[in-house]
Amino acid sequence: MPKILLVEDNEMNRDMLSRRLEKKGYRVVLAQDGRQGYLMARSERPDLILMDLSLPVMDGWEVTRLLKANGSTCHIPIIVLTAHALVSDREKAFEAGCDDYDTKPVEFVRLSDKIENLLVVRQSS
Amino acid sequence: MNLQNLSIKRKLMLITMLTSSLALVLSSVSFLIYDLMSFRRQLSQDLMTQAEIIGFNSGAAMAFKDESAATATLSALKAKEDIVAASLYSPEGKVFAHYFRANKSLPPSLPSRSQQNGYRFEDGYLQVFEQVTMNGERVGTLFLLSDMRQWNTRAKRYTGIIIVVVLICGSLALLLSSKLQKLISKPILHLEDTMRMVSSNKNYEIRATRFYGDEIGRLIDGFNTMLSEIQLRDSALQRANNELQTSTHELEVEIVHRKRTQEELLTAKQAAEQASRAKSAFLANMSHELRTPLNAIIGYSEMLEEEVQDLGKISNVRDLQKIQAAGKHLLALINDVLDLSKIEAGKMQLNIEAFGIADMIEEIVMTLKPAIAKNANEFQLRMPQNIGVMRADVTKVRQILLNLLSNACKFTDQGTILLDVNRVPNTGQDWIQFRVGDTGIGITAEQQENLFHEFTQADISIARKYGGTGLGLAISHRFVQLMKGRIMVESAPGQGSVFTVHLPVQAAGEHPENTQSPETVNAGASSEVKPDSDTILVIDDDLAVRDLMSRSLTKLGFRVVAASSGEEGLRLAKQIHPLVITLDVIMPDWDGWTVLNKLKADSDLAEIPVIMVTIVDNEAMGRDLGASSYLIKPVDRERLVTLIEKHRAVRLSTLEKASALPANWPSKGQKNSRKPEAVGPRRH
Repeated sequence: MPKILLVEDNEMNRDMLSRRLEKKGYRVVLAQDGRQGYLMARSERPDLILMDLSLPVMDGWEVTRLLKANGSTCHIPIIVLTAHALVSDREKAFEAGCDDYDTKPVEFVRLSDKIENLLVVRQSS
Repeated sequence: MNLQNLSIKRKLMLITMLTSSLALVLSSVSFLIYDLMSFRRQLSQDLMTQAEIIGFNSGAAMAFKDESAATATLSALKAKEDIVAASLYSPEGKVFAHYFRANKSLPPSLPSRSQQNGYRFEDGYLQVFEQVTMNGERVGTLFLLSDMRQWNTRAKRYTGIIIVVVLICGSLALLLSSKLQKLISKPILHLEDTMRMVSSNKNYEIRATRFYGDEIGRLIDGFNTMLSEIQLRDSALQRANNELQTSTHELEVEIVHRKRTQEELLTAKQAAEQASRAKSAFLANMSHELRTPLNAIIGYSEMLEEEVQDLGKISNVRDLQKIQAAGKHLLALINDVLDLSKIEAGKMQLNIEAFGIADMIEEIVMTLKPAIAKNANEFQLRMPQNIGVMRADVTKVRQILLNLLSNACKFTDQGTILLDVNRVPNTGQDWIQFRVGDTGIGITAEQQENLFHEFTQADISIARKYGGTGLGLAISHRFVQLMKGRIMVESAPGQGSVFTVHLPVQAAGEHPENTQSPETVNAGASSEVKPDSDTILVIDDDLAVRDLMSRSLTKLGFRVVAASSGEEGLRLAKQIHPLVITLDVIMPDWDGWTVLNKLKADSDLAEIPVIMVTIVDNEAMGRDLGASSYLIKPVDRERLVTLIEKHRAVRLSTLEKASALPANWPSKGQKNSRKPEAVGPRRH
């Protein structure tokens, strides 16, 4: 059962998304800010991370960069989720090292496809 | 005092006095001399006669040596006052008898001896010797001495008379000359006074009076003529000076006014830019804030839908689907707002890539199927098999077509929706033409006015009935412009609408919006200029105007070629055959009128529309010379763009006629063919 770390500061989104993911059969662990997300990525060793960009304490770009720079976490796929739809945001996210990108509000089918893809790629490698 | 510097008056008097006095004195003196000379001769003659008489009378006494008788004879000389001494000499030469005037204080000494006959003047005295004869025999000599008393008296008297006469004559001459010199000196002095008054008062209205018709009179006439001439010139100069001052003042006022206006404009511009930036930032921010709760709404309703479906409560499923649809609609609106704010902030970028047109169309049709079915419309697609590939931002092309087609579906009930895709050949490069037609409610001419403008919905009831932000067409319009294409609408109420989008097969690879250096082909690089139906030729000697026009027109997807002189402009016009020429009037060398005239005289160029863009307010002149429009600077950009778009539409329709249209294309929308700037109810 793949474990997904959801880093999201908005409580409703966190709750809704985690429940839908659990329904799909994933184990979901939650973090409410960037710092907590970073620490949990290291301690929980999730199979995939869903990362909001605008987070308190430490923003999603920073967390992504730190995780990708660390040898023990760099292999974990990160999907960045953001309400910012500007091209520059997407570019910034990819620069920070994320594996995929989606805009909020999430289209759940599309998102779960992306999750599936990344998990398959990871398992095969 | 120097004689030459005396006044004319004194000179004249002096000349008269000197001349008359000299003449008088000379004549008087010569008369006096002559008179005295003749009087002296007369005196000597008298004395000689006297001597003869005395000599005759004393002859007997001398012959008889009678001394007393001789002395008595001499004494008779007492009667002659002027004879002061007399003596008789014996033939031997000795004094025989003598006589002296008694009252003579100093008796003159008698000559000791007798001398020759005759008279002589000696020491102011007249001496006479006379032979005394007796019967023809010489018996002695008589000597008489006269003191010329009469002559002296006469000379003194005459001299006195002459002095008196000279004095009288002199004063008369002075009197006369002082009167008569005015004949000459008065007009000259008057002339001099007049001249002094003119030069000191600078009053050229004064005139000298002409007294007589002589040379001075003519001199005064000449002087007066000269004054009139000077007065004329002076007043002309004064007038010119006044005019100059007035216009200088007006110019100064104008400059101050302009400076103030410029400052105000700058301030207003900065404020507007600031406001625009703030608005864009606000919109971007708001759209983010709105997406977060929407995320929850859509997500929870989807989740609930799945759960409820599992439980088999179909009625609840429909309600939840309505919530989702409303949420997605709201999301679309937010996306539109965000798109627009990105465009306005200059952050919209083009991702140019090559894609198959047929694939894209197929995908769009698939997406639209539910919308087409909703109002029971029929859909027709016309597209050549070999439509091929184009290079553009596929996402934006899709968005444009989806917008136009979903509008068509929305506003048409039980009608037909047509999509026609074609390749239109053009000089330079081909265009892809998308035409979206419907048989729906149509758009009025008034509504078309604002069709492509943001946030303006012509008819509020339409918004209520059909929904939409009125942003869809505005965004489509902006996207088309970004890709240097064109969008147009043809419609009439109740007759359906036809939207036409032209996009170049090869979109430019750069990001045309927010360009800091607009694509301006300058005159120097004119050899690279190619004929293009999208090119505007800007002829203006002002660099700022050329730059501004280039920037604003380039932003709107035109290609701009600028010329700094009329001559250059004419050469470029021949070379590139622009869509439209904008022409300034006030330029060095050839002015705008000359250039316009030359353009219209050239059969090759006469068809190109010329828009005069100038500060000269003479529209009639421009129209007479063949200008198609006349704009006064500062130019109303909207108006300029509208005019250019109008000309472009005309040019395009000419092109389209050349390239055959599909034969069965619905013609109902053609009635009200509008320029692309024209706009109507806000559709989404």
